[in-house]
Amino acid sequence: MKTHSIFAIRHQRPIYLFLGLCFNLLVLAPAVYAATPEIYTPSQVAWLVLLGGVTLALSIYLFVVMFQPERF
Amino acid sequence: MTPTSSRSPNVPGGRRDSRKHTPKANMAGLYQRAVKEAFVKLDPRIAVKNPVMFIVWIGTLVTLLVTIVPDLFGPVPGDLNQQRLLNGLITLILFLTVLFANFAEAVAEGRGKAQADALRSTRSDTIARKILPDGRVEETNSTELRRGDQVKVIAGEMIPADGEVLQGVASVDESAITGESAPVLKQPGTDISSSVTGGTRVVSDELLIRITADPGKGFIDRMISLVEGAERTKTPNEIALTVLLAVLTQVFLIVVATMSPLANYVQAPVTIAILISLLVALIPTTIGGLLSAIGIAGMDRVAQFNVIATSGRAVEACGDINTLVLDKTGTITLGNRLADQFIPVNGHTDEEVAKVALAASVFDETPEGRSIVRLAEQFRATVDFEAQKAEGVEFSARTRMSGTNLPDGGEVRKGAVDAIKGFVRSRNGKSSADLDAAYEQVSKLGGTPLAVCKDNEIYGVIYLKDIVKPGLRERFDQLRRMGVKTIMLTGDNRITASVIAQEAGVDDFIAEATPEDKIEVIRAEQSQGKLVAMTGDGTNDAPALAQANVGLAMNSGTQAAKEAANMVDLDSDPTKLIDLVTIGKQLLITRGALTTFSIANDIAKYFAIIPTIFAAAGIGALNIMQLKSPQSAVLAALIYNALIIPALIPLALKGVQFRPLTADQLLRRNIFLYGIGGVIAPFIAIKLIDLLIPIA
Repeated sequence: MKTHSIFAIRHQRPIYLFLGLCFNLLVLAPAVYAATPEIYTPSQVAWLVLLGGVTLALSIYLFVVMFQPERF
Repeated sequence: MTPTSSRSPNVPGGRRDSRKHTPKANMAGLYQRAVKEAFVKLDPRIAVKNPVMFIVWIGTLVTLLVTIVPDLFGPVPGDLNQQRLLNGLITLILFLTVLFANFAEAVAEGRGKAQADALRSTRSDTIARKILPDGRVEETNSTELRRGDQVKVIAGEMIPADGEVLQGVASVDESAITGESAPVLKQPGTDISSSVTGGTRVVSDELLIRITADPGKGFIDRMISLVEGAERTKTPNEIALTVLLAVLTQVFLIVVATMSPLANYVQAPVTIAILISLLVALIPTTIGGLLSAIGIAGMDRVAQFNVIATSGRAVEACGDINTLVLDKTGTITLGNRLADQFIPVNGHTDEEVAKVALAASVFDETPEGRSIVRLAEQFRATVDFEAQKAEGVEFSARTRMSGTNLPDGGEVRKGAVDAIKGFVRSRNGKSSADLDAAYEQVSKLGGTPLAVCKDNEIYGVIYLKDIVKPGLRERFDQLRRMGVKTIMLTGDNRITASVIAQEAGVDDFIAEATPEDKIEVIRAEQSQGKLVAMTGDGTNDAPALAQANVGLAMNSGTQAAKEAANMVDLDSDPTKLIDLVTIGKQLLITRGALTTFSIANDIAKYFAIIPTIFAAAGIGALNIMQLKSPQSAVLAALIYNALIIPALIPLALKGVQFRPLTADQLLRRNIFLYGIGGVIAPFIAIKLIDLLIPIA
């Protein structure tokens, strides 16, 4: 049972990552592109949104470090 | 009081630093392995354990992307190739920063592993003779022994695991763990010699031993895990510092992430690579890169001292100790008292006392007995009987005296004054007021009086002087300056105790102390919010060792004492507690000094980067270092940021030089040296690097 749950989590990570990237490309990036000046190309906006996502993830990671420092 | 007690046979002699500790770590190839390990630690699953350096690692990957495609995140001003070159250099420096931090940790771990290997070399699988419940003997591998098993070890064999002697008396060579070549006597039922350590060898006779630790759970196994870092858990101090570093990193991450719109607003757009450089320069990378190395090096220093610590927390607690509770005998004074003076009574002369004392000591091989012989020889005393025809009378706790039965039927004795009085009375002799006066005189001097008699006549008193260990007074003065209080515990009477306490320079003493008093003293100090350290070796010390914040048990002590303590000294040298306090303080001071330095560095890096990249916003005047350009300023700050990590590795591993100062004095000194120095040093270094790099 325990093995199954670890297996499931390991295999769910790439799926979440893929869904996140799709969400970025199909929803977030177009929305941000629509709201930014024309000097940015659609691909640049998509990468920018991705970078924003990475920054947010790092920020959440740092909060985890702050509240559960013994894990690090 | 035992007039003829001797030094514990387990305590190694000579200066500690001159002793050979067999578990010498082999440091060959340490740096090559550390370089390899530094690359292995780039694995994100390992890198994520160090928050500050993980942020730098992610930043490196992002700058790598903008090196390949400079306009990946938006249009960039100027030539793309130039931008690519700058981004490439930033990527390289950030990568080196991560590598250097990994290298620092790998070097510390490598030293720990080498130390662990040296400790492991004292363990080896051996065939043990296990006693089965039905009494049969079965040969089994030592790794298959379990707690509670009984084994028989004969001369020439290695003791298979930590245990307690149940039966037999044997000499054991413990040089594998203590470096002391003289074998020690092991026998059951005594506080100082009933426990044995796995990996040591029986050199004579045989022992029946009850195993007290499962395989891999012995003291040395626990230490191996600790120095290797396998079971290293963060200490409270490290946890607090990790939180502080995470908070600082979070603050700067938010500041830098929200800086781009502001920069665009003030007509000074910045690229992603420059923003990442700014973030890396502002977060405390120096301490982030060296933090784990400092902790590992602290454990390593303790192991090199031949002390086994059961946790990093215990080592760190040593640095916070407020009160040291020390036994007098063996810790403050040398275990053996030495004869200093003869005090004649009943009208006898010094020479007569010397002659009788010599006759009573010819068979006494204890250090006290030898010192009486030496003192008597100074009075030209000689033995006027045939020693072969005389008979030595050994000291016993019941008679409290020793001596010689002479060939002519005469009896010479030396011992506790009460015991000698009784001996003389039993032979129709008398005591005298002289004797009581001499007894009081010696007690007031802090010594032990031994009366000397021949048949029914008391000749005088030998003044056995307690010798305070040399250099202890200075050490206690140092401890006092650091705010550590020392309390001496002794079974001696109040007069003797006060004299020794004064001579040694301890802050307080408890005379006529019982083992129960130890725990009372510790509780009383702890109730005032103080942290207490103590040493002990007997079973009756175990509750106090467990109660103390730092309990240092002697390896020669009982299993109960060792299990209750959080440190075990393989050399069985109680004075080492003072050194452990120094090591603990050094660990805390090093961490504090490097944290101060790291945060102070950020100020200089801030002044290097911000005014140059936002010069267009009218803050160019803050470019007090007059750096050439934003590009060179960023590169200079990052190069300094990367190089300072390997530059500080030796300091992190060796520790800041220890100075016996109070907490306030240390704080002032650290702020001055590492705070102000930490601001000035990068200003100079960044300016120099800016001048050297050929980027305008």
